[in-house]
Amino acid sequence: MNKSNDNRLDEALEKRIEQMALDKQPERDLWKGIEQAIELDAKKSASAEKSHTEGKHLFRSPKPMFAMAASFLVLVVVGWMSFESGKNLQGENLVAAMSEQHNLQKQSLLIRFKDQPASTDNWQQQIEELDEAAQAIKKALAQEPNNPALLKMLKNVYEQQMAIIERVHEPRWERI
Amino acid sequence: MNPKLSVVNNTDIELAEKAQLEKSLIDASKQGDRLAFKGLYELHINRVYGLCFRLCADKSLAEDAAQEVFIQLWRKLDNFDGTSQFSTWLHSVTSNVTISYIRKQRGWWQKMFSIEHTIAMESEAEGSIADANLERYIYQLPERARWVFVLHAIEGYRHEEIAKMLDMAVGTSKAQFHRAKSLIQGWMDDE
Repeated sequence: MNKSNDNRLDEALEKRIEQMALDKQPERDLWKGIEQAIELDAKKSASAEKSHTEGKHLFRSPKPMFAMAASFLVLVVVGWMSFESGKNLQGENLVAAMSEQHNLQKQSLLIRFKDQPASTDNWQQQIEELDEAAQAIKKALAQEPNNPALLKMLKNVYEQQMAIIERVHEPRWERI
Repeated sequence: MNPKLSVVNNTDIELAEKAQLEKSLIDASKQGDRLAFKGLYELHINRVYGLCFRLCADKSLAEDAAQEVFIQLWRKLDNFDGTSQFSTWLHSVTSNVTISYIRKQRGWWQKMFSIEHTIAMESEAEGSIADANLERYIYQLPERARWVFVLHAIEGYRHEEIAKMLDMAVGTSKAQFHRAKSLIQGWMDDE
């Protein structure tokens, strides 16, 4: 490409950039999710304030007690399963143990965040998409049960799911 | 009165009124006024979403990122001290939050299988055909080249700023920009 052709293309590109509309309208209403997150922040601040003034009363109502008990039970089971899975699990058994353990951890998180609004609308759809991905990987693992790359991918999918559930229910403060 | 002068004056007045409105919305939002914050959101959402969309090249991800930008904005609005224009500060917040959001959310799925075909590429871009083509070319760029192109050519950041933002060397930012430009120009040449 010669220099004059280069300049011509540079000018043409610059012209297009200048003419490009920078605004874009989102198709769905984003305000609702933002408002929910703001609301949640306000509730958290209020509750932190209350805890500060009244002292920490961990077992105030039966609902959190139930959630804590359920989470504790899940942790015990997960701990036991981790111990069991340390006993040289391989192939199909390893995949089954990973899936079982993940399901328990997922349930534990969902119980924990049961009463908290999510900051985005489509998180369940994202979880479903990852479920489909996990199914596809498990199908591949059925053919090659000890393939390390597939096992790693399955682990990644499960970690993504947990991260999404935590993120949408516990918006983080320290990003900017 | 010269009609051209009249238009200029009217535009100036509109801009001044908008700046005044924006300032009062920022001040009220800083005091915790959610209605004012909604006003601020309405003033800027389309520009913020446009930037998110070009960085993400994915509609759903861009929508989530734009939400995250405004959630962070609500929390960090006190950090805006008024020394720069609010829109400049907001676009910097948008770029940082969006890049960080993409990095966190970018599915391992896409990384592992290099799925380049995104929803954004399928959607109809608005505006003229040339405009639509340029948008499409931007979405087709490899991720890092796209980020650098959007931040440098469209948002006007210097390579030094981009390098800091994207945690890369200045030379890499320049190389990615050159790569992006060459790709787009190649596609334009084929039109």
